[in-house]
Order: sequence, then structure tokens, then C-alpha cells
Amino acid sequence: MGNVLVLAEHRQGELRDITFEMLALAPSVAGALGGEVMVLLIGSGVDKMAEKIASYGLKVLVVDDPLFADYNSDKYQKVLSAVIDDYKPKLVMLGQTAQGVDLAPALAVEKKLPFVADIIGLDVEDGVLKATRQIYSGKVNAQIAFKPADTCLVTVREAAFEAPEPAGQGAVEKIDSPLKEDLDYRKFVEYIEAEVGDVDITQSEILVGIGRGLKEDKNLPVAEELAQVMKADLCGSRAACDAGWLPPDRQVGTSGKTVKPKLYLCMGISGAFQHVAGIKGAKTIVAINKDPNAPIFAVAHYAIIDDLHKVVPKLTEKLKELKG
Amino acid sequence: MVRPLITFSFLRPIAGLQKNIPLMRGMKMTTENQTFTEKFDLLGCIQCGRCTGGCPVTVRTNLNVRRFVYDAYNEELLDELSRVAEIWDCTACHTCAVRCPKGLKPLEVLIGLRSLVVESGKTQPTVRDALESVFREGNPWEKPRATRSDWMEGLDVPIAQPDEPVENLFFVCCTIAYDPRVQIIAQNMVRLLNNAGVDYAFLGEDESCCGSEVFTLGEEGLFEMIIEDNTELLNAYQAERIVALSPHCFTTFKTRYPDLNKPVIHYAELLDELLEQGKLAFKSGLSKKIVFHDPCYLGKQSGVFDEPRRLLKAVEGVDLLEFERARERSLCCEGGGGKMWVESESKKERLAETRIKDAHALGADVVAVACPFCVLTLEDAVKALGYEEEMRVAEIMELLGELDIEQEKTNSA
Amino acid sequence: MKIFTCIKYVPDTSEAEVKLNPEGTAVDSSRFSFDINDADNYAVEESVLIKEKQGGSVTVVSIGPKQSEVMIRMAMAKGCDNAIRIEDERIAAHDPLMVARVIAGAIKGQDFDLVLTGCMANDYGQAVTGVALAEILGVPHAAYVKKVEIEDGKVKAHRELEGGLMEVVELTIPAVLTIQTGINEPRYAPIRGIREAQKKELKVVNLDDLGVAAGDVDADASQIILEKLYIPEVESKAEIIEGDPDEKAEKLASILVKGGLV
Repeated sequence: MGNVLVLAEHRQGELRDITFEMLALAPSVAGALGGEVMVLLIGSGVDKMAEKIASYGLKVLVVDDPLFADYNSDKYQKVLSAVIDDYKPKLVMLGQTAQGVDLAPALAVEKKLPFVADIIGLDVEDGVLKATRQIYSGKVNAQIAFKPADTCLVTVREAAFEAPEPAGQGAVEKIDSPLKEDLDYRKFVEYIEAEVGDVDITQSEILVGIGRGLKEDKNLPVAEELAQVMKADLCGSRAACDAGWLPPDRQVGTSGKTVKPKLYLCMGISGAFQHVAGIKGAKTIVAINKDPNAPIFAVAHYAIIDDLHKVVPKLTEKLKELKG
Repeated sequence: MVRPLITFSFLRPIAGLQKNIPLMRGMKMTTENQTFTEKFDLLGCIQCGRCTGGCPVTVRTNLNVRRFVYDAYNEELLDELSRVAEIWDCTACHTCAVRCPKGLKPLEVLIGLRSLVVESGKTQPTVRDALESVFREGNPWEKPRATRSDWMEGLDVPIAQPDEPVENLFFVCCTIAYDPRVQIIAQNMVRLLNNAGVDYAFLGEDESCCGSEVFTLGEEGLFEMIIEDNTELLNAYQAERIVALSPHCFTTFKTRYPDLNKPVIHYAELLDELLEQGKLAFKSGLSKKIVFHDPCYLGKQSGVFDEPRRLLKAVEGVDLLEFERARERSLCCEGGGGKMWVESESKKERLAETRIKDAHALGADVVAVACPFCVLTLEDAVKALGYEEEMRVAEIMELLGELDIEQEKTNSA
Repeated sequence: MKIFTCIKYVPDTSEAEVKLNPEGTAVDSSRFSFDINDADNYAVEESVLIKEKQGGSVTVVSIGPKQSEVMIRMAMAKGCDNAIRIEDERIAAHDPLMVARVIAGAIKGQDFDLVLTGCMANDYGQAVTGVALAEILGVPHAAYVKKVEIEDGKVKAHRELEGGLMEVVELTIPAVLTIQTGINEPRYAPIRGIREAQKKELKVVNLDDLGVAAGDVDADASQIILEKLYIPEVESKAEIIEGDPDEKAEKLASILVKGGLV
């Protein structure tokens, strides 16, 4: 039997998206291995979450114990270790998240599991598991095969798969916690929420960049409204900060800050080399500029060659609609 | 695949440190027992104030270089002085040095204070990254050494070989080599040289930063290493002279490389020579009002004033204008002195904007320059002032390149 | 505090075009610049900051070629005291579990309070080695650490979770921390300092010197096989969104939303 065990991820009472994204991948792999998908849910007072997962037509193994009131990788590892021994899944799947990264490698070492991290694809060819992952900041894909083993381990990249819709009704099976007392070597202390107010653009996930093309400060709301809809922080080129449209700590480039957002949408920025150097860590770059020869287009992933004043207000409007 | 190991002189025995290199006054290598006062000849200062009086950045910032020269005499104050933000406002234009009646270089006191910051490791991240990039990759732009010659793509460029004699050995400059906006300076130069049948060669990927900005950012140790490595590299070629495309490399080689075994000229001097010899003639013209902006490193620091003007005048139709502040009095664009990596805290008008406003008032169509940094700073100013429709900033090689193209068109028509 | 800090020499591929060898088994890195891995640079700074505050020593551990000694000397110039560079072609470098075993081999048997690593490498981006190393060494760990506080023989590590939330955990010492970028501001290593650091001890060792059996860390020992590399089919240039301004806006909005970018 080639069962797939998925570790459900949750935080502060909410299941995280990665849990469901893994459910998009797990059934096909389980099918190819001739087994079924089981989801392991570890926590304290997690009945509702268990039900929600079961509504995907899957078997849910639940370890519900006050010892798991807060996340602790080492405690999770003890449970996973015992469940692997008892249920002998062919594949264990975790998210490549702050939780998964803190847990999976140690589990792999402890249980001597072949392990591939941060996968974006997983196939079974002639009974052999083959994972696809990206290297060199997404410029190269690697195909990695697992050598034969009783149990293999992967962590799945966030947002690489689209979560399926719930279907059917699965069973919830409660299992005893293999952990009987708290650990003394690692203790959860507290969560600290991100500070609100001061924005550190080097840490921003989404950035809207403005440049000289905005023309004057009375056009600033054009960018601000878009940023609001996108839940983005505003930043700018040297010209934009010089002009006083943005404070100096929002400046991106060689004389400003180097940023690494997942999405960088810039408008009216020509992309002087000195600016582009500051956005090389951006995963996706969208550029709106009326100059077709603007160097920003050489590094952009999506390009709109047009007057930002014509395009951006409409874009804001559309995004509002689509995001409800 | 692993690329071949580049030779870092520091990994060799520390010979350079013991070698007694006769450097210029004020640039003397730090030795254990030389004080700040001795190093910069602070006692030679008569506090006349001509340095601060001529300093162009005083209209924007509180920098008072005379005051620093005075205060730095007190060794106990040095640490505190090095933490004053204004030391990073200096653009190393050298006006203070040009005007000093005692022949001192007041700006080097500021650079000396910057050195204290650099030696402590607490530089601004932008400065740190630029310096580390020079150390590792031989350029301050965080670009791979291996892509230094990418600008040559599609061009027929002779690469110098140590055992092949050549008349003109070209030195490109990191900014021209890597910044797509100014690569055209080198590209047009190659086209022009090929047309004129000049004996020349480029260094290719062996070329490495001249250290001009490393020096002004205060990284003395790295600058010493660069001088040593570049001297060894350049001396190995059988070239009659070195031709620098950037005034920063030009002046740095001329004034801070005591052991170079061949003369260094700026490209404007070479082209002026070709004009005189009749090897260079422009058949097409350019009906433009052009004002020439004297780059600090070309003009006031190295005395090359007439050659670029003669080049522009040789183009038919050019109406050559002059700034009120021209030649030795030329207003700095604030591109040098490491300012590409350090933003001034001042919110007052940039000197480049002042300069462009002046050019605008003169009615110039083109502000011609002969320096990559001036292109970048002055062009930003044109955009900031919204003058894009009325005027442009162009490096002389850009303008000459346009002539060549027109010329070819005429021929083929 | 006796600290081991693990660093890696990696190519910068953020702007460079990446090409493969014809067999699709290796990346042609001849046109890349190499430097210390981003996160490792922060780990070096953090270890030096801890040393400056608590006293002790910092030993750099790195697996890499001779060229990487430049990076190691820079770390020493910043305040690390000595270094071990491991070079051995037998190591299965594609498997971070094997890499962790080799590093453990260099640390095991020595006294240590903390091991710091970068949380992830720029090249392979797996975020595995540090946590695996902790398990092999048999000590507690925390990954993605953005703040370190040391008190009473314990370390409080602030782990950066998604969305900027911090999870504070308390670990007994010795422990392994994988350091997230942005935890500090790495200092500059002046060249005079690098020259000075030439005097510090840099040991170059292979697996035999470490007493690690090659058969435990080579491609045969690894349970995974790197079968092939290939360049994914993505637009090398920008996708140009066409239409009138309204259509362009509409298309972009849909790309952003459907692509999960906003």
C-alpha cells in the first residue's frame, strides 16, 4: 500500500492555505502509488479543523492534546515519527513553510527518510517517485528521483498548487499522543505581531514603485489607491524620493534600499541601472511605462507600454472588482 | 564549472605594504607612526577659507571643509568628526585643492575621515556593497567580472595581448562597461577607431576598476591593492600609451599611480590629435546649440579644457555655447566622490539641476559632456526639471556616433 | 560562547542568464560572480555580535573550493577567529542531508554553544542543512531566526513566520540557529582587515581528515538522485500586455489575481 500522509498546518486557530494546496497534489500521487491520502492534524481543541479537512473526503488522523496548544517542531516531530512507524506511509508531505522548514529536515534525519524540499511537482514513474524543484532563483528546474525506501519525505512550495474544492466526507480518527510530557529543551514563548506603522520596504511582500513618470505629487493618490487594493507598500526611485513624494527610507536602488518582494509593480520608472540593482531580488516585476525602450522592460516579467495615468486608475478599479 | 582563480594580490605575500611607494603629498601611505596631521599636512593650512569659499556643495549642505581641516588637528576629535554626516557630502571635485594657496588638498582630510569609518566596518550598506563588489569583481556595480566585455557584442574589437605592441591601449571604466545607458561611449569609440584606422586595443575582461571611487570612499587598503594589481597589469602591455574613456580613470591613473610605465591620456586628447592629423573628419553636420560641461576630473583636475571644445567645433553647424561657470570654475555635477552610493541628506536643489537650469537659460539644445557620471547626473536633472522635450544630455561620443551614422547614410544614398 | 558559523560560497544568479552543460547535469557558472550566501553573511555578523557581547570565539565552517577562501578571509576580517574549509569531491553536494553530515563531522567532538547557519542558500534554496545538522548533532534548533537573545544559559530565538509574525522559542544551549536575512546589518570587511586575517588559522581538510567515511556522504549514501536539470519554459523577456489602456488594465488585473500575486 502506498499511502500519502499530509501534515495539516494551522496557526492561531486557522488552517493555513498550504494544507489545502497539498491536497491538490496528494491524491494523484496516492493514486499512482495505489494508496490513499491521510491527513495528520496535531493540536489542541481542533475538532472543527478536523471536520473541515474531512470534508475533502479524506481520512483525518487527529492528535488532540493540550501539549500541542502551541506549535513546536520538536513535539510535532515526535508525533510524526510515531505515526510513520504505525501507519507506514509511502510518502510524507509537509509545507515548505516556516513550520515545515523547522521540522522536515530533522524528521528526515531521525527516520533516515529520503527527502526533497520545496517541490513544485511530484510524479510516479514505474513506481519511482520523482520530484521537481527549482534552483538558482527559479531559473533552472531540477528533477530528483527517490531511491527505493519505505517512506519518502517532501515539502511542498507554497502557492505552487491550487487548492481543490471540498468533496465527500472522510472519517476522523483520533489517535493517542505519543508525547506524554512537555519538552524541556525547546519551549514556545509567545507570538509577536508585526509592528504596524513604520514600513520597512526591504521586508515588504508586495511593493508599488513610483518614478518620475508620476509627474507631480498631486498624482500620488493614483499610486496610493492601487497600493491599498494590492495590500502593497509604496516605494520609489531616487527621483520620486528626491521630489519629496515619498520619504527617503522608501527609496529603492544603489543609493537606497535593496528590496526583495514577491511582486514589484512599478509605474513611471524608466529603470535606470542604479534603480534596477535595487530590485534584483523581486520575484515578479510588472512595469508600466510609456517608453517602449525603457530599460525596466528588460527586467520586467509583465509589461504595459502606456501612460500610467490612463492605465493605473482602471487597474485599481478592476482589482477592486476581482478581489471583491 | 569553476572559473579560474583571479589573482588577488593580498593573497600573495604582503610585499606591497613594505614597498616604499613614493606617493603624492597627502596621499602618502598610512604607516603605523604617521599621524593624521602629518599625513594631510594639516599644519600647512593657514585657515584662509578659500577651500570652503570655492566648495560647490556649500549651497546645499553644511559642509565646511576648512573647519574639518582645523578640527582634525585634534586627534581626539577624529572619531567624532568621522561620524559627522557632512563628510559624505564632498564630491571630490577638487575645487578646494585647485584653490588652496598652500597646495594642500583639503578634500583628502574628508576622505581620511571616511577611511576611519571604512576601517571600522560601519559603512553604509550601499558603500559596503560597492566596495565589496570592487574587491571581488573589479567593479562597483555588483556585476560579474566575466561580463565586463559584454558591451562589445557585435563589434570588431581588438583585444590587447602582452606580447603584441600597440599604440593606444584603451581603458573602458566600470560604469561605461556595465551601465547600458553609457555603454554607447565605448561602442561608438570602437566604430570611430575602426573607421579612422587607428592602432588600438582594449583590455577585455582583464580590465579592473581604476579605484577612483574606492579612493574617494576612503577604502585606502583596497585602493593600495588596486594600484598594485593595475600597475602590474598595465605595465605588462607593450603599449605606447593608455587612453581612458572616463575622466575619473584618466585622472586617477595620472595622479595616483606612481609606477605606471606609460603615459595616460583622455580620449578627447586622442581624437583632437586625429583631427589635427586629418585622420578624423566629419562630413555631416549637427545644427544644434551645444554647451559643453567641463567634468571636474577632466578639466579642473587634469587641465583638459580645449580638446573637447575643438572636437565639437569641428562639427559643421554646431553653435558652441559656454556656461558662465566654465573651465576651472565649472560647477560639479555631484557624480564623483563616491556620491553614486551615498545620498546627501540635503533636500535642496541638486547642483546638476542648477547646471541644467543654466543650460536651459542659455537656450542650449544639448549639454555635451565627456564623463559617464556627468551623463547620469545631468540627465536625471533634465528629467527632474521636465526639460526632456527641449534639451538632452549627451556624451561627446554619443554625438560623434550620430554623425558617423549620418555619414554612412549619405554615402550609401 | 563557542560558536560555529557555517557559510557557503554561491553564485549570484539574480541577473545572470543561466546556461546548462549539454548533458543537462550541471550549470555553467563561468559567467557568474560568487560570494558568500546572503543569509550566511547575516549569520557571520550575528555570530560576531554575540561574541562581542558574550566573549568567546567563532569558527567558520565551509565546504567549498579554494576560491572560497576569499569569502572565509572576509568573515575572519569581520571578527571570526579561525576556519575550517572542507574540500572533497566525494561529497554528494545535491543532497543537503549529506552536506549536514559532513559539517557535523567537522563540529562533532568539539565543545560548542551555538551553531549558526544561514536559513537558506541562494543557489539550491532548500533551507534544509541547518535543521538537519541540529538533529545529527542531537541539539535543539530554531529556523528562520530574526532575533537572538541569550540569557541564563538559554537562547531565545525569534522565528520569522509568514506575514511578519514572530514566534519566540526558548532553547537550551547548545543549539543550532538558522539565521534569516535582515537580522542585523552586516559590517564591511576592510581590505587591511582581510590582510590582517591572513594570520588567522584556516584549516583545509577532506573527509578523511574529518574522520567522516566517504561512504556515508557520497552519491551512493544519498537516498536521492539528481537526474537532470533543465531550463523551465518561461518568457525570457517581458510578456507585453496589449490593447487599449482599459484592456491592458483589465488583463493585468486578471493576471495578478489569477496568478495569486495579489
